Formats: sequence, structure tokens, C-alpha cells
Amino acid sequence: MDDILSPGFSIPSIGHAPTPLHHSLDADQQIEALPHQVYHPPAPEPTTTAATAQQQQQQQQTDNGTGVPDGSSGSGLFGHEPSIPLAHKQMQSYQPSASYQQQQQQSNNTGGSTPQSLMQPQTPQSMMSHMMPMTERNAPGDSSLSNIHQTMGPSTPMTPATPGSADPGIVPQLQNIVSTVNLCCKLDLKRIALHARNAEYNPKRFAAVIMRIREPRTTALIFSSGKMVCTGAKSEDDSRLAARKYARIIQKLGFPAKFLDFKIQNMVGSCDVKFPIRLEGLVLTHCNFSSYEPELFPGLIYRMVRPRIVLLIFVSGKVVLTGAKVRQEIYDAFDKIFPILKKFKKQS
Amino acid sequence: MSYQLYRNTTLGNTLQESLDELIQYGQITPALAFKVLLQFDKSINNALNQRVKARVTFKAGKLNTYRFCDNVWTLMLNDVEFREVHEFVKVDKVKIVACDGKSGDFN
Repeated sequence: MDDILSPGFSIPSIGHAPTPLHHSLDADQQIEALPHQVYHPPAPEPTTTAATAQQQQQQQQTDNGTGVPDGSSGSGLFGHEPSIPLAHKQMQSYQPSASYQQQQQQSNNTGGSTPQSLMQPQTPQSMMSHMMPMTERNAPGDSSLSNIHQTMGPSTPMTPATPGSADPGIVPQLQNIVSTVNLCCKLDLKRIALHARNAEYNPKRFAAVIMRIREPRTTALIFSSGKMVCTGAKSEDDSRLAARKYARIIQKLGFPAKFLDFKIQNMVGSCDVKFPIRLEGLVLTHCNFSSYEPELFPGLIYRMVRPRIVLLIFVSGKVVLTGAKVRQEIYDAFDKIFPILKKFKKQS
Repeated sequence: MSYQLYRNTTLGNTLQESLDELIQYGQITPALAFKVLLQFDKSINNALNQRVKARVTFKAGKLNTYRFCDNVWTLMLNDVEFREVHEFVKVDKVKIVACDGKSGDFN
């Protein structure tokens, strides 16, 4: 019974009869080779990527060109710094998201439009101007602050510690991914609980089997309807791989499990901006989007509209981003919130 | 009804052998033997719960697998160290079957 589900199991081909274990290596490769839309870290300096980043940067600069005179600059972060070392730095920090956008575009061309495609034409800057309340945009302190950077930028040598100097290259790390899949067969949960390893089934408490695997370290909720929820993965690939492994376990127990309608339902990312934030100030100026009730919860809850992401912002500078269906939404949301957070940096 | 978990212990096994013998010699009826065994289940659950003061601690290097079904936890442990006051035993593999002490305590 136990060796059926030894850790070396794999899912060679969902929908076929179980294959012997010695095929597992091949099967793993087969899983890896499955077509899916995922994020791959960009190669060190691909020319296409650099070109995209440059384009994006140019776009930002033109945005700033219109933005500066009327004082509606979203930030002193993305623009106002045409100096060469800085531009280079900017390019690098943008690379991950830029290359991902490119990849997204490619996949959009082939595989129909996603919500992502709607967001493509907009740079974080232009979106920002929608977000800013009027009072915020015309704040005198803001424009003067950015002016200082504008004048100081090219003349003074760049030091990483200079506040408001550049995007420090913070990229939110994905912490959790929740996905669902339909196995398309009725399941006898008690049989699963009795025969699979690392399974919990307490129908008095919860009408699903809770199962865990170690690689990728995830937890699955398996319902008798054949629907399954897979949580805990740190990447899209891992989430899918884990879901397939669970499906394979179910198959090995003798159920005709398929693997239909796999969908990532939620992604959670987090990062640390490494400076304390005045949440009281932020909640006042962004009252349409934020709620801050320190007696209920120590973080500020910021409900961004585009992309539709909820951010938990803490005094410590730690930020949690959730509600994304694709990775890029997390990145876009952080690119948008970072300049705002900078303005509410606690001076101490 | 109490857990019949302890019938498969030395005490339980010898009791069952004795009862079988008595049935063979016609000294008790099978129904009586069954009743005795039920009383044994009750008594040993009670005794282990109330009267045992000895304590053994153990620590596992790794929880290999676990299962929870029908209110029973099954744990497979690797590299387990059992410790009494000055006794120390190391075991490669241990299987623990654990039941809810309260739900089985109907006496």
C-alpha cells in the first residue's frame, strides 16, 4: 500500500493507466516540458529586453515631460533623472518586468487576449496619474522635492543611499499561489485518506481530504466532487506540477482522474522597501483606496483599482500584495505603490 | 464501547488465550468470554489513563508520513529517541497509532 505512493511517483500522462515507477524520470521531464505560460527569469543582457526597457523608459520620460510643468509628477523616482548612470540602473531594475511583459505579449499573440493585454500600453507613470487624488498631485512639497532631485541628479555623484534617487530594484517575491483543477471524477475521500500518505480527513470538520507533498512543498484540498485546490506553491510552474502530482496520486489509487481547467486563482507576493512608512499620512491622502484601523489590524489595506490588487502596507516597510491572477499584476502594483510609499517615508 | 487497541498486547493476548482454553474445556461460554474481553478493553483504557504515572519522552528526527482518518492519527517516525529518566533507546522507525483519549472513554 505504502510503496504505491513512494516519493518518486510522477505523472507521466494523466488520463492513461498508471505506469510503473521506473518511468518516473521520463515522466518528470514530460511534466517539465508541458506547455504553459510562465515567467522565466531573463537572460543576463538580451538585446531585445534592453530595447523594451529602453522604450519603456523613453515613454516614461515623455510622460514626465508633460507631467512636470503642471506639477503632476507621480514620483521623483521613475523620471527626472536623465543622468547616464541612473538610466542604466533604471534599465536594469526594470528588466524583469519588461522582459516578462514582452513574453506576455508574445503569448498573447499566440494564445488569445488576457486581462494582461489590456494593461500593456500603460506605463506605471501614466497609470499613476489616474490614481493620484488632486490634492496629492498639486502638493507643493512633492514638486519641490522632485525638483531638488532633478537639479541634484546629474551633478552629484550617485550614491545608493540617496533618498529618492532611483528604483532600488526591489522585486516582490511570490509567497503563495492558489490554483484549482477539476479531476472530473467522483472521489471516495475515505479511501483516499486511508491509502494515501500525508492525508487528513475529518468529515466532521471539513468535507475534504487535506493532503501534502514535499516537493513542491504544497497542500491540496481534495473534494469528493473531484475538484481540487492546491495551495502553497511559490511559482506558477510549481503550482501546476504539484497539482499534477496530486492528480497522479489520486489516479494511482484507482480513480479515473483527469486534469481539466487548471487555473491559478490567486497569487501573493511580498517585499520590503527598507524604510518606515507613515501610514497615517498615506491613509489621509489616499482615502479612496486605503483603510487603516490600527486597533483592528496594524497594516494599511490599500485596494488598488488598476491592477486590481490589495496591498497590506506596514509601518516597518514590509508590503504584502495579493489578489493577482498573473505575476505581472503584482509587479505592476508594486511599481505603482513604491513612489507613493516613498513620499510617506518616515523621517526619523 | 472502548477502544480494542490493547487486545494485541501481551496482557490482552494471554487473556484471549486463556479464555479460548476455558471455552475449549467447556468451563465458560463464548458469550461470557466476549463479555470478559469487553471489560478488559474498558479496564485497560481506564488503567492506562488513570493509574500509570511513568513518563517516557521521545523525539523524532523526522516525521516521515502521517494520516488522520476516522479520528485516528497514524504517524511514521524516523530516527526516534526514547528517553526515560536514565534510560535511552534509539530506534530507526516507529509507527504511532493514536486515538482520541476522550471519545474512547465511555466507562
